Amino acid sequence: MNLRWIAVAGFVMVSSPSVLFAQPGAFGGGYGPALKVVPPPQAFATSEDHYKYLLAQAKGGTKHTITSVPRWDGLWVTAGNTHMDIFIDPPGFKGKVRPGVLTPPYEKAYTERWRQQTELGEVQYDRLTHCEPVGYPRFLLEPYSHEFINLPQESYLINDFGPSIRRVYINQEHKNVYGTHSWFGDTIGFWDGQKLITNTKYLLPADFTRWSPMTSNQFESVETWELKKYPDGVERLEVQVTFYDRYAFVKPVNAVYAWRRGTDLEKAGHRVQHWECETSNNDVFDKGTTTSKLPGEQGFKDARGSTLFPDLPGQSRDPIYNTTLPGEKK
Amino acid sequence: MKTALRVPLVALIASCLMSAVAVAHHSFAMFDRSVEKVATGTVVRWQFNSPHSWLYINVKNPDGTETLWSFEGSAPPQLLQRGVTGSSFEPGSTVTVSYCPMKDGRPAGGLGWVRLANGKFLNPADGGCDGSDKAIEKWKGWMAAGYTSSTDALKAK
Repeated sequence: MNLRWIAVAGFVMVSSPSVLFAQPGAFGGGYGPALKVVPPPQAFATSEDHYKYLLAQAKGGTKHTITSVPRWDGLWVTAGNTHMDIFIDPPGFKGKVRPGVLTPPYEKAYTERWRQQTELGEVQYDRLTHCEPVGYPRFLLEPYSHEFINLPQESYLINDFGPSIRRVYINQEHKNVYGTHSWFGDTIGFWDGQKLITNTKYLLPADFTRWSPMTSNQFESVETWELKKYPDGVERLEVQVTFYDRYAFVKPVNAVYAWRRGTDLEKAGHRVQHWECETSNNDVFDKGTTTSKLPGEQGFKDARGSTLFPDLPGQSRDPIYNTTLPGEKK
Repeated sequence: MKTALRVPLVALIASCLMSAVAVAHHSFAMFDRSVEKVATGTVVRWQFNSPHSWLYINVKNPDGTETLWSFEGSAPPQLLQRGVTGSSFEPGSTVTVSYCPMKDGRPAGGLGWVRLANGKFLNPADGGCDGSDKAIEKWKGWMAAGYTSSTDALKAK
């Protein structure tokens, strides 16, 4: 491919948002060589069996120290995934639900969900509209900025929404003293050389993303994280994932997700600012569509207004510009 | 082509893909993306917050009153890569914006491009409207001819 054709391709992409939206799984895709799914070496009945097999293969895993544990710190942004390949054929809004991937009730629900997306332009349930957390597995698809901090006993996988922090407990067993499931569940892991292998379970049921099927409270995963280097200086943090869900999937499904270093963001001065839904999200589902509350309307949340204590000095959340919108308490 | 050029170009294309695809916190079904309009007003607030930024401007009505308009843009991590920061649109300054209006007629829309008082254009758009260089070039011609709506400009063709 010569320079002219790359420039033309870039121009077409920039100038054709409707075309781009036909690629819901893109999420920064196109950086480096095409992502390839690496399925597990054999079929496993449960995520736990899969994880234990990999642990045995790694002979109990690598015991890293603070000086040997792989360093992935810094800022990262999404660099594509194969997520929609699992469910839609061909991937994109013109594709159809792949038959036989989901169990009958989940396939029926997803077929309706996909109809809503393609015909109405949105699904009728998107948990972020309701200020529910990102959780897992949606964490893998969040497009903002990420950080990955590895320590010998624990890894922290961070997204700036929420905050969304996944904790990976290295060389430990699952624990669930709360006796329930949660948005990020419980993740254990071990190192196999430079690869981080994880097992996540005890998750709440959710929507994977707005374009994806619903998942059940039996959704679990095994992940293999690895920093990979390719020709031309391309560096990607990739995670090969097998998802298990005995209620939703006919058999376990596989996908790969990737991130690249966010050097452009770092140069632009970006530092992660955790944000949350309660003060900044004005999305509501009204008359069959998602819409936003506007200033002055009942229920509008003013992200840069004052706190619940406006009579105290210094309670504005906009201390530099001190702007005021209609409907704020004086 | 030299390898040194290939990677940055691919990265550029990838980041363009991200800017339009990956940033959506919700669908854009509330906006009528078949219509683009422009409005000029005074900045009340540039809310550079995730998951979506919002630009609030007061726009003068024909009867002399003012209406507060709200325009939804992209998230800060995406905007920073386009040179848009939390101080790009200062309260009190005059801006002209392109937008795709709310389908329900309320004074709001998906934000396209923004022209500053000094004539500089910025692209804070999310998927709700088109703020690309192509859209800016198109609108430069339309605005010079006095149009404020893509519908009118296209009809005149």
